[in-house]
Amino acid sequence: MAATATPEVVPGIVHETEDKPKSGLEPGYLVICWNDPVNFMQYVTHVFQVVFGWPRKKAEFHMLQVHEQGKSVLTRESMEKAEHYVHQLQKYSLHATMERDE
Amino acid sequence: MKLIRRSDAKLLFHLGQREGNLLVQVLKRYPCVPPAHQPLNKSGLLANQQENQRLLDEALAEQRADCKKQLQALLADPRRFHKVDIGFRLSLSQPDIEWLLQVLNDIRVGSWITLGSPEGKLEHLNATTAPDFWAMELAGAFQMELLQALEEGGTYP
Repeated sequence: MAATATPEVVPGIVHETEDKPKSGLEPGYLVICWNDPVNFMQYVTHVFQVVFGWPRKKAEFHMLQVHEQGKSVLTRESMEKAEHYVHQLQKYSLHATMERDE
Repeated sequence: MKLIRRSDAKLLFHLGQREGNLLVQVLKRYPCVPPAHQPLNKSGLLANQQENQRLLDEALAEQRADCKKQLQALLADPRRFHKVDIGFRLSLSQPDIEWLLQVLNDIRVGSWITLGSPEGKLEHLNATTAPDFWAMELAGAFQMELLQALEEGGTYP
């Protein structure tokens, strides 16, 4: 028996494997502050309070994390907001970057 | 540098003669951090990385130019910075303190970069390194005075 010329279609679930690019509005970017030996602890605490509006305790927690662990993830935001925060932190000459949260 | 009066809008500082002169000398060094020094991202995995880095560098350059203008205006304004018999008086608003802290830290960090970003204490001072070391330490000392004044005023949330 000859095979049919039309392709066989099997009903089932279609799995899409394509990676959708993260849009600029999607929260998926980490704002990280890195340790350096030049910025004073009191200054770093002040900057966190001003830039994020955090209470003293929270700002000190992140400052100590930077000091003791070498870095602190300050917030997870959309691309635009993460860029904004990095700019604000760098205005104060803190070593801050944004990284994709994979 | 001593806080002598505080109102809702302003903080008034007294500086001794030498202290006032040193502040002016240190501030004249601004800006010290090299342009395009700060990376937006470490991993290099951001979309439009180069374009975003360029925009950040431009924004920081604009902000430094703005701070420079504000600094020149402050030092030239006799209502805000003037000589008295026994030194200087410096009157700062809360926004003034914020940009002045940015200026002082730029001088501190920029001088540290020029010194080779030492991890610990600088071991050997010489004629080349002394001015940057001096600027780094003085900028830090003035910075701490401003932070102390904010602290005492209960400015924080």
